[in-house]
Amino acid sequence: MGHSNIEFWSRMKPGKATREQLKRHNRQLLLRAVYYDLANNRAALAQMTGLAKPTVSDLIAELIDAGLLEEGGLGESTDIGGKRPMLVRFVPDARHVIGISLDTTRAFGVLSNLSGQIIARHYADLDTLRGDEVLVLLTEVINGLIAQLDAPLLCIGVGVPGVVDNDAGIVRQSEYLGWQELSLVEILANHYNVPVYIGNNSELIAIAQFAFGTEGDTAPENLVTLFVNEGVEVGVAWQGAAYHHGGDIGSLHLSNSQRLDKLLGWEHVQARHAELRHQYPNTILPEHDLTYMHLRYGAANGDDLALALNDELASYLAQLVAWVTGLLRPDHISLVGPIVNLGESFLDDVARKAEALLSPALVQNVVFSLGYSPNMSAIGAAAYAIQKELDLI
Amino acid sequence: MKPLLGVMTNNPGEVFQRNVIAGVEEAASARGYRVRVVTVPDRQVPDQSFEGLAGLLVIANAVPDDVLCRLYEGGLPVSLVSHRLPNLPVPAVAPNNTQGIAILVEHLVVHCHRRRLVFIQGNMEQNDGIQRDAAFQQELMRYNLNIPPQYILRGDFIPSVASQALARLIEQTHDFDGIVASDFLMALAAIDVLTAAGLSVPDEVAVVGFGSGPEADAAGLTNVAANVSELGRRAARQLMGQVEGLRIRGLTLLSAELVEGSTSCHADA
Repeated sequence: MGHSNIEFWSRMKPGKATREQLKRHNRQLLLRAVYYDLANNRAALAQMTGLAKPTVSDLIAELIDAGLLEEGGLGESTDIGGKRPMLVRFVPDARHVIGISLDTTRAFGVLSNLSGQIIARHYADLDTLRGDEVLVLLTEVINGLIAQLDAPLLCIGVGVPGVVDNDAGIVRQSEYLGWQELSLVEILANHYNVPVYIGNNSELIAIAQFAFGTEGDTAPENLVTLFVNEGVEVGVAWQGAAYHHGGDIGSLHLSNSQRLDKLLGWEHVQARHAELRHQYPNTILPEHDLTYMHLRYGAANGDDLALALNDELASYLAQLVAWVTGLLRPDHISLVGPIVNLGESFLDDVARKAEALLSPALVQNVVFSLGYSPNMSAIGAAAYAIQKELDLI
Repeated sequence: MKPLLGVMTNNPGEVFQRNVIAGVEEAASARGYRVRVVTVPDRQVPDQSFEGLAGLLVIANAVPDDVLCRLYEGGLPVSLVSHRLPNLPVPAVAPNNTQGIAILVEHLVVHCHRRRLVFIQGNMEQNDGIQRDAAFQQELMRYNLNIPPQYILRGDFIPSVASQALARLIEQTHDFDGIVASDFLMALAAIDVLTAAGLSVPDEVAVVGFGSGPEADAAGLTNVAANVSELGRRAARQLMGQVEGLRIRGLTLLSAELVEGSTSCHADA
């Protein structure tokens, strides 16, 4: 795992709970301790958690029966001698987890083990599907991963573009998918008979980056992800916990009274490209099937249209970066989505423009990165589901 | 009687297809299925080939699309290996071509500092060939590489075709320092041609190829290990899932990982 875990430890203090809740809590406490390699035998676990040794023995036996832990090898005896303790270790392949990301173009899924290692990937294009058709497609992608299971399925996590009520398990509004007040958790949990967790895509990307590190870096403490594709979404992971009120901010109006998603979204980029071709007839950009990679290539070769369009996009994005930096003071901002194909020089440009809008010192304290993995939201969905179900990751 | 899965192939002896079939047979027998391999070298499939099948697995474009459409609409579970039907939601299994080519180009450009690249295409009528070609074009833009059109060679996934194309290029110019081949067998053929022409690998020309197999390992070829037997195992699981009632749409992707050999450079070069 990419982060220190001690801070999580403090979250584990129980409040008032039923006997069954307390038992579950204690099981998770022990599992976490072994998972994070904080203790690896019964005596050490009892010492670390403050639980009575018989309780620890009973719960470890349950975890071994469930296949989540296994015994293997002997540890060192203590300074005062005595019997060498039997070691226990976590079994990452005891269960599999499915994480799905629905974006504006496809349903992309990963099958992972409990350590977040990807076992299989499966996707299907949304094409023009909307509403109930998307729900059917979602189950067909989940089925594609169920066919590849090597272990019992623990739970499913699903990332959705739009406004999601994680706790209620309801997608309040997803314009792109044609969903409104959809009880997604209930529908999928009834269909697959396993726990299901949902979240906003950008929030799940933040969780993935927190859990597994950002591109070329270890996981930051305070991270903001800016997810730009057809729309614009913000995800926040603050000291290890996802902030659940991020998400779609495409409807935010910038100073020129335009919606953010109408300025930064891919549909707008294509429309601006078509407009600017009249102004720059000698462009090397293709008239059709434009991609962000074409814009990157064009800018690198001094193409005026590509430079103009990159500059516009950097200006809009810089406004968002300035707001986020001014309000939240994150130590890391990660740009994700297909826009990352514009490359590092685009990101540098965004940071420079943000410095001009805010105090340069504030922006210079922020590490900027590009999140290249197209699967990050699905990985985050799996990580979120594991986090919710076992309090791991 | 154990349920029977059909596997349609146009060349069961060819390295790729042989390994796919081995993976299918392994996964099927582990779940109590039987496998019947049907060879259709000319894409003419007799109707009786489908009798008694619980499901059908088709490798690449061995079966014409209209026949596949008819079978799918008739309700027979079908899975495709490295092939897609444009207008039907028949599920498939394929290597992650985009990721694999990106890894190979990144290795040559970033780690081996090569920028004058030659690309040997696969069969441009097959999905894998088309996707790997598109991925290479994308990576050229990522690294701002400008290569002449004659550096894109026809290979057809046939080593002898790749050899001839490369030999013709060498007659015109030696001004390239890296070769990305759309499959590892064509990469090995390219190394033979380079060596015969007196060009040293990897000092003068670094060579990498997509996919892996015993031949690649024996030659120390730098490649992305898209495990072909695993492709077969995953495809069999997808098909058995459908036979057992799962309704599946889309593509199961196999990850590619760089395996550094002696034909390029080491990552810290």
